Amino acid sequence: MTRIEVSRSGGFAGLSRTWSVEVSPAEAEERWLPLLEQAEAENAETLQRDRFIYHIVVVGYRDATVPESAVQGPWKELLERARNAPPEEPAEELPDEPAEEPGGHT
Amino acid sequence: MNAPVHTRCSIVPPYLLSRLAGLEDPRHHNAAAAARRALVQLDPIHSARATAPRDPSRGAGTAVVLALRRTISDAYGTETLPGEAVRREGDPPVGDVAVDEAYDGLGATYGLFQEVYGRSSIDDAGLPLDATVHYGQRYDNAFWDGFRMVFGDGDGEIFGRFTASLTVIGHELAHGFTQYTSNLRYQGQSGALNESVSDVFGVLVEQRVRGESADTAGWLVGEGIFTDQVQGRALRSLKAPGTAHDDDVLGKDPQPATMADYVETTSDNGGVHINSGIPNHAFYIAATRLGGYAWERAGQIWYDAATGGNVPEDCTFSRFADVTVDAAKARFGEGSPEVEAVGYAWREVDVL
Ligand SMILES: [Zn+2]
Repeated sequence: MTRIEVSRSGGFAGLSRTWSVEVSPAEAEERWLPLLEQAEAENAETLQRDRFIYHIVVVGYRDATVPESAVQGPWKELLERARNAPPEEPAEELPDEPAEEPGGHT
Repeated sequence: MNAPVHTRCSIVPPYLLSRLAGLEDPRHHNAAAAARRALVQLDPIHSARATAPRDPSRGAGTAVVLALRRTISDAYGTETLPGEAVRREGDPPVGDVAVDEAYDGLGATYGLFQEVYGRSSIDDAGLPLDATVHYGQRYDNAFWDGFRMVFGDGDGEIFGRFTASLTVIGHELAHGFTQYTSNLRYQGQSGALNESVSDVFGVLVEQRVRGESADTAGWLVGEGIFTDQVQGRALRSLKAPGTAHDDDVLGKDPQPATMADYVETTSDNGGVHINSGIPNHAFYIAATRLGGYAWERAGQIWYDAATGGNVPEDCTFSRFADVTVDAAKARFGEGSPEVEAVGYAWREVDVL
């Protein structure tokens, strides 16, 4: 499998978040690598402030930086998949439900 | 044919459209920029006051310079801008809290710039103020798109609605102010200064509405936009950068307070939301050293610096510090407590 990492920085809060998704090597090569190649030509200075910036890495191949204002179509699909992908290395003994707090019930 | 990434370059800034309509051609960029600097070098306070009618409601037709014209639109959870206009200037509250907070916040921000600094809207030419609320689904952000402010409702788990803090509204509108004045490039140190100018005027809007002096104010940006599940009071602190929040999910507030902790990074346009902590803290030190209401003296100096035509688009921290010291001298005189406080503040954060 090929891993695609999505790091989001910027935004009003300036807080970084990272997500990742595993895709087949064939999908990476056919769909996502060509998309990242296109992005490399983009270098737009805009008037937009406090928008998110996405840094996308097809691990072992290439990376690209995409401003939020350009996240449409297949970019949106890729980012949604990464955001919604389950963490592939869950911490051991992750509880299914939040632990009850003492005295939490009335 | 297959171009999902939209090129957004060469958007002509609105100040060129409105003031220099004959120079839209990009080849005239330098001439237009020079003309813009010449315009802002005209003393904006005295020129605005001289032309201002005492009562803007009188003398229709001459009140244009000082008219506050707000339009709040609702995107209804879509990412389509501007959305539907739901509250215009003079309309009563509509009962939607985000709409009404945005309306009031635009008014408070306009009030700071107009009543304290004599500036007619963010462009000093009465630009109507537009905002869109309820943008996107669970959207964790607020931004300035070059023409309007846009506010998300938050995801409900970490962030609530972004209009809940007046500092956020003032911050976004101040990006428009910077766009029409110094136009600080949104990258590296100049980008961090762009962010800091927005944080400074954002907190000043709130302090003025609350009647807080420099020593009693909280100096927080974004207080009240976290849900109560988050360990943290706010996004940023001008008083103590790096201490605004410390949460399992969000992590610790990454802002430095001095140059010793300046963060070199390629993300976030070179850490514009991180290193803004340094000029933010300098403003806090200057304002508290002077005491009283921060918008009166420290705020005036920062305003003069931003509008005086001496801040280049690629300004460094040290250049900006020099410009604020010069602005303090020009307004308050050599050897004044204001000049001393501003120089002291920049030395404390290791910029000067
Ligand atoms: Zn900002």
